[in-house]
Order: sequence, then structure tokens, then C-alpha cells
Amino acid sequence: MYRRSAAIAEPVILWFEDRKIMAAPGDSLAAALLAAGVSVFRRAPVSGAKRGPFCMIGNCFECLVEIDGQGVVQACSTEVRQGMRVYMPRGQSPGEGD
Amino acid sequence: MNAVPVRPEVAVVGAGPAGMAAACSLAESGVEVLVLDEQPAPGGQVYREVEKVHEQRPEDLAALGTQYRAGLELVRRFRHSGAGYLPRTSVWEITAASEPELAIGTLHDGAAQMLYPRHIILATGAMERPTPFPGWTLPGVMTVGAAQTLLKTSGLMPAGRIVLAGTGPLLYLYANQLLTAGTRPEAILDTRPATSMGALASLLPALAVQPGALLRGLGWMRAVRGSIPVSSRVTALKALGDERVASVSYESAGQSHELQAELLLVHDGVIPNTWLAMAAGIQHHFDQRQACWVPDVRGVGRTSRESIAIVGDGAAIQGAEVAILQGERLAHEVLGQLRGAKGPVLPTPVEPPALRQQRLLQRFLKRYFPPSAYFQLPPDDSTIVCRCEEITAGEIRKVAALGCVGPNQAKAFTRCGMGPCMGRKCALTVSQLMAQVHDVSVEEMGHYRIRPPIRPITVGQLADMPMTGEETGSAADPPGKFASANSSSSKR
Repeated sequence: MYRRSAAIAEPVILWFEDRKIMAAPGDSLAAALLAAGVSVFRRAPVSGAKRGPFCMIGNCFECLVEIDGQGVVQACSTEVRQGMRVYMPRGQSPGEGD
Repeated sequence: MNAVPVRPEVAVVGAGPAGMAAACSLAESGVEVLVLDEQPAPGGQVYREVEKVHEQRPEDLAALGTQYRAGLELVRRFRHSGAGYLPRTSVWEITAASEPELAIGTLHDGAAQMLYPRHIILATGAMERPTPFPGWTLPGVMTVGAAQTLLKTSGLMPAGRIVLAGTGPLLYLYANQLLTAGTRPEAILDTRPATSMGALASLLPALAVQPGALLRGLGWMRAVRGSIPVSSRVTALKALGDERVASVSYESAGQSHELQAELLLVHDGVIPNTWLAMAAGIQHHFDQRQACWVPDVRGVGRTSRESIAIVGDGAAIQGAEVAILQGERLAHEVLGQLRGAKGPVLPTPVEPPALRQQRLLQRFLKRYFPPSAYFQLPPDDSTIVCRCEEITAGEIRKVAALGCVGPNQAKAFTRCGMGPCMGRKCALTVSQLMAQVHDVSVEEMGHYRIRPPIRPITVGQLADMPMTGEETGSAADPPGKFASANSSSSKR
């Protein structure tokens, strides 16, 4: 879906579910996941339909993810950190084929 | 953490063009002003990360163009203005007019705090107009603004089969930025209606005063149309796919089409982000032509609450140039109010010619790119309107027809607007759909009641908030003792 215009010099390494993600320092978590090819961040609580980032400026709350020790946050408004462990919000299973 | 002035003379919410211009002007006049902003760096959405892009990513800077680069000047002025600046800070409440004291609830690095300014300037900017259509909740469907934000903040370019749909200056600006960077979308599905007489009539006055800007815009449109297939008067737009978007179907010139797409970027103009203003109890009205809610404003930016002013795209969509000019003028108006005890209130500052010229340009743009009817009143009843609670247009129409009197009652009946986004993505649509069913004006139908906290805050963060007596800093602190705009803000 997206590619980076420049290579990452000093990557920040984090995990989304079981997947290792290489991010650039200063990336929002949502940008880092999208750049790594992750398009599904969570499931809609009502139907279980897959959802991913939509507005990227903190208004739509579609990019909610769960971070170890931090709870559920908006991935577009959260900066990546070394070693961060990120999951689809609790009680939701990772999507197949991501 | 640097001590934050708990009682600044003026608190500004938002470090975009309007907020920065107002803060600079006030700080330069010796007023203790504190700017609160959610982002890590000043610029707002329009100049988002302009410093970082300028320093680290010259190719992205070239693609983003001259208007983006122009933001650097204002950001630098802001950094040196002496204005206090709290980045990465969200505002979740402004106390109601019935409360004894004006206060603003902030959250920074997980710590909540109340600040007690004498005056508040809201410069919360714009958000993209909701664009409900079948399939818009599929992963891989995003807004054009979102994709542009990814380019500004992280240098992300869309890859693979990209389709742009909707209309508006931002859509064509972004398409041009992609072409400059060597990325070619598969198609633009333009939902703009036929050019109206009103648009044509407002073209000449705009051309007379802003020929450069219009020719630049015409240049983009021409470059885009020369390189990307553009379908006109598109309707019946649908995103299709099981798990994520795989294709997009639409009608144009009476024919049905389908295109493969792995990224569908949608846009239909921007509207004021009124959530904080509405939560503060400021009066709003519905602007019929713009099809959006706007705050009632007198003078430059005075609202129905004497100590709260509003400026920039949050007051009315006029773009960054107007926001800067208005920010400066608002600073004078606020200064007059603050110093009112010592002398007569200053008259509303005169409008500089540049402001009048920009307004003529904006008037043309608004008439040339009116909101798309297809997104305003989604014709297909299966269209999800409230993304959070997955409430469809059909359900809203149904409860309205059953006698539901307004959006707040519809909320109680269906849960529309009750999810985490607090109605930001459905309020406009729900009010418009219900007004249509009841055959009344949107103004009469009303808007969801917006209540604080308007930003996520945990009970623990609220409980840990220092009581007034424990707070750091005091009104006696001179400006400059706290985090000023030119100090390094990066902590992580």
C-alpha cells in the first residue's frame, strides 16, 4: 500500500502481534505499520469486520491498537518506541492473511 | 518536565497557522501566551513536520511544493516569539460558562492538568468532511488527507494500484504532489457536479486579485489531467473487497465501471473541527452553502463566550493564508479585550487588502468545489454512516421516520455517535439525513450534544490530576521560565 521515500538509517524495532516491524525514529505507530504492509489494525466491535487507519489525524479512532503496559491507544497519535509490543485490541484475534 | 504556567494570560489550542500567528503576535506584544498542541512539532496539519522535512527529506519537500515550504517561515517565527509551547498535549475539556472559573483540561505524557488562562483562543483547524459510501470502512480506504499526512510525517508514498475519489483542491494538490514524486494513480473519480453559474460569477473577481494562485491551481489540474485518467460527475461509488479494498465501482456518464485498487483515497473538502468549541458550549449555526456547522463569530473571532475566541479553519474554512492574517488580527482583538480595564476596547482591526483578496479566492474555490451530493445524503440505505457502531443510513432514516426528533434521540435509539470517535465521522451525516426525512433545515434538526472529555483520558489520569493548590508555577512566573517554543521538545 505504501513505500518509504527513503531507507531507514537506524531502525526502531517493534512487534505487531508476532510480526517484527522496522520503523523509522519519529514514525507514528500507524505510519510504521502501514509502511510494513499491515493494513488491518483491529476488528470492529459490533460485526467483527476488519478495520485499519482512515484519517491519520486523531479523529476517526479506526487505528486503535493495544500496547503492552499502555492499553488501547490511537496508533496515528502514538510515536514508535524501541521494543514496543503492539497487538490488535484485546479479545480480538489477528486477521488471517495480514 | 519544565514548569507549566498554570495561569497564562492566554492559552491557544492548536499550533497550526492561525494558532501560531496569534501566539506570535501576542508574545511579541508582551502577553504571556501558552500554545497547546497535539503534534510533536508546530505547523498544524497544513505545515505538519515542515521543519523535519526541510532538514531531512529534500525530495519530499520538493514534492510537497512551495505553499508547504512557506510554512517554515511562520514556524521559525513562532520558535523565536517567546510564546510558551506544549507539544504532544491534548485538550479534553474547557469548563462550562456556568463554572466559577475558566479552565482548560490538558493531558501531556499521561499526566492531566487544569490550566486557568484569562482568555482562550481556539485554533483547532479543519477536518475532512465525512464521505460515507458503501465499503468506506474497508481497510485500504483512507482519506486523501491521511495519505498526505503520511507523506509529511514519514515520507510514505502510496504504492501499487491507487485510486483517488471525491473532489476538492486538496485532492488535486495531492495528485500533483504524487506526480512530482513520480507516482501515478490509476484514476481520479471526480464527484464534482457541473460548474455552477455562481462559480463562474465568482471566478472573475478572484482572477482579478489572485491571478497567480488561480493559474497555479489551473497548472495542477492540467498536469493531473494530462497524466491521470479523470472520470467526471462520478456517482454510485463503492469500495469492494472481503477483507480489504480490492476494487472500486462507480458510475460516470451513465455507464458503470469497475477498477482494481489496493488503496482508495477519498476526499470531499474540509469542514471546521468544532468539537472543542461545541463542548465549551459555544453557539454554532449550520452553513447551508458549505454544508457544515460553524461557530457564531463576531468581529475577528469573538464567540458567544466572552473569554473564548476562535480563529482559522476552525472558525470557517478559508485556508492557511487567511488563517495567518486572521491570527494576527485576532491577537489585536484579544489584546484589546485583555487591556480593556485600562482603556477603551480597541476597535476591530481593519481588513488588510491581502485578506480581502484571499477571501475572493476562497469564495471561488468553495463554489467550484461544492460538497458532493452523493456523500451528503448517501442514497444507498446499506451505507454505514456511524463507523464506530456500524449504524447505516437506512437505520437513521428509519428511526427518523418513526418519529425520532433529532440526532441526540437517534443516538439513544441506535447508538449512532456513541463510539470512540464521538460522532466526528457521522454527526454531519446524521443531522442531514434526519433533516431530509423530517423535511426541515439541518439547523433546525440540530447536532449531537458534545460533552467533555473530547479526547481520551483514563479515570486514573483524572484521579492523579494535581489539585489547584499543588500545581507548579504561578501567575507571577515571567514568560520564558517554562517550556518556550524554541526549546527542544523531543523527549523520545
